[in-house]
Amino acid sequence: MIEVDQIRKKYKDTEALAGFNLSVADGELFGLIGPNGAGKSTLMKILATLIHSTEGRASIAGMDAAREPKSVKRVVGYMPDQPGLYQDMRVREFLEFFAAAFDVPRNKQRSAVEKALDRSNLAQRSDSFVEQLSFGMKQRLVLAKTLLHEPKLLILDEPATGLDPIARIDLREQLKKLNSEGVTIFISSHILSDLEDICDRVALITAGKNAADANGQSVLVLQTSAAQLQLYEVDFLGDTAFAAARAAEAPGVRVLDATASKLLLEIQGANLEAAKALQFLVMAGVVVTRFDHPAPSLEKRYRQVFGVRQP
Amino acid sequence: MSFSGNPMIRKELRQRMREKRGWILPSLYLVALGAVISLTYQSITLRQSFSFGSAHVQGYQVGVALFLTAAYTQLALLLLLAPIFSAGSLTIEKEQRTMAGLLTSLLSPPKIWWGKFVASLLFVLLLLVAGLPVVSVAFAFGGIGIWDIFITSITTVIILGTISAIGLYWSSAFRRSVLATAVSYVTVIVMAVVPWIIFGMGASSREYDSVASLPFWTRASLYINPVFFLTTAFVPRAQLYPQWFWSLVTFIVVGAVCVLLAIRNIRRSGDIS
Repeated sequence: MIEVDQIRKKYKDTEALAGFNLSVADGELFGLIGPNGAGKSTLMKILATLIHSTEGRASIAGMDAAREPKSVKRVVGYMPDQPGLYQDMRVREFLEFFAAAFDVPRNKQRSAVEKALDRSNLAQRSDSFVEQLSFGMKQRLVLAKTLLHEPKLLILDEPATGLDPIARIDLREQLKKLNSEGVTIFISSHILSDLEDICDRVALITAGKNAADANGQSVLVLQTSAAQLQLYEVDFLGDTAFAAARAAEAPGVRVLDATASKLLLEIQGANLEAAKALQFLVMAGVVVTRFDHPAPSLEKRYRQVFGVRQP
Repeated sequence: MSFSGNPMIRKELRQRMREKRGWILPSLYLVALGAVISLTYQSITLRQSFSFGSAHVQGYQVGVALFLTAAYTQLALLLLLAPIFSAGSLTIEKEQRTMAGLLTSLLSPPKIWWGKFVASLLFVLLLLVAGLPVVSVAFAFGGIGIWDIFITSITTVIILGTISAIGLYWSSAFRRSVLATAVSYVTVIVMAVVPWIIFGMGASSREYDSVASLPFWTRASLYINPVFFLTTAFVPRAQLYPQWFWSLVTFIVVGAVCVLLAIRNIRRSGDIS
């Protein structure tokens, strides 16, 4: 769905993007993380056709974002980090305006607006002025507006910023639902636990470039479908090198990390393949004391890559 | 670019009519216009009464005097008001961070510009139309024909269209409404005052008997002057060329350049949206 190839964006004195690469598959819920000023918003603006890159290519659904902006806009819904709203418009008027602005056919505009109101749980407030809504409601309204033209790809720049916990949970559930309906979602956030909960994979970015973790990976796999990849953490007794070597010999297994008495394995396949890998390790003489999915800790991996800000 | 097919126009008009200035400004405008017309009428009739009889001032002369006063007063008032509607219309989208929403929709920059322009101009035209009953007082005295009304109105609309285009250009160039409005007013003042200074210098440095005999730059500077443009409309139809014609061309060219530059700026405003 998204292909970004060696993209650069230079401003007068700074280089916001310095050769970033990215590939997001159809139907993925893909995250982008990095410190402030890393280039996340710039990348999203380029994908949303708001700005042009200085070099490199960004394409969406096979269309060049710079050369075919109108076609790209038809398949993309973009929500900026600080979305603006017309405070002096009523909720329904706001949605009607954007339905027309997104070229939703006239005979379908009413149903599109009704759907957006239902989606955002704002049907009861459709005659309220936007300024009368709470922050969470406004955020839901912006998301509903972004979905009016039924985009195939949602680009969300820090959508959860400023939301209370309940609103954040609502947003996560809504994104999961949209993703299950086939919408590809590309999202950036500083709330790592949210991304960890919903994203299939997360790309790391710093200083406009791909960043890599200790294993040299610039894209972290967080959720894996049964037919794809699973992460397992293995605790064992004995020599680490021996255990890592045996694990590497197991079919469909890749050793991502090997520290004292602990292995991090990427296993191709579902539970059956994981059970076979465990059996292989045990039969090879590795004394396994624990074999489980690693505790979810995107934050830990984030800190490994980007470090901890010193007070 | 059509009127009905552009959702920007409906949105803009709806928002403008909801603002307090949507009814305050037309009210003030009519009060001011009415006051000037009344004062003019009073001063003419007062002078007449001091002249011991009505023979000195004919009815048609009162009509012409009232019409000219109304036309120039309208222009002056609308020149003051037009930048208010146009200069803030794009900056407000930047200030309230709604520009990204517009630019990522299927509204093209020309459509966004057109929506803003039509809404700005329509509001000014609303004032122009609202002032017609006041101006029509002049008809009661005669001396004014349909053609005079037509050419005066067309000229005023063209001037206001260009001023709106200039306001929109500044609105596309700046991020803050205050700055865009201030610079728009400076532009209007420069257009209205500087040509007269140049004219004064050009006219005093040599003998002249008509505008055509003025040096080129003196003449050219007058073509961008709104008051001069309106004045050239008060001539017999056959004499509209060259002064009215060249003023028209100048205003259209200036307006067109502002349109192109504003659309270019809108296209580039994704960075600050």
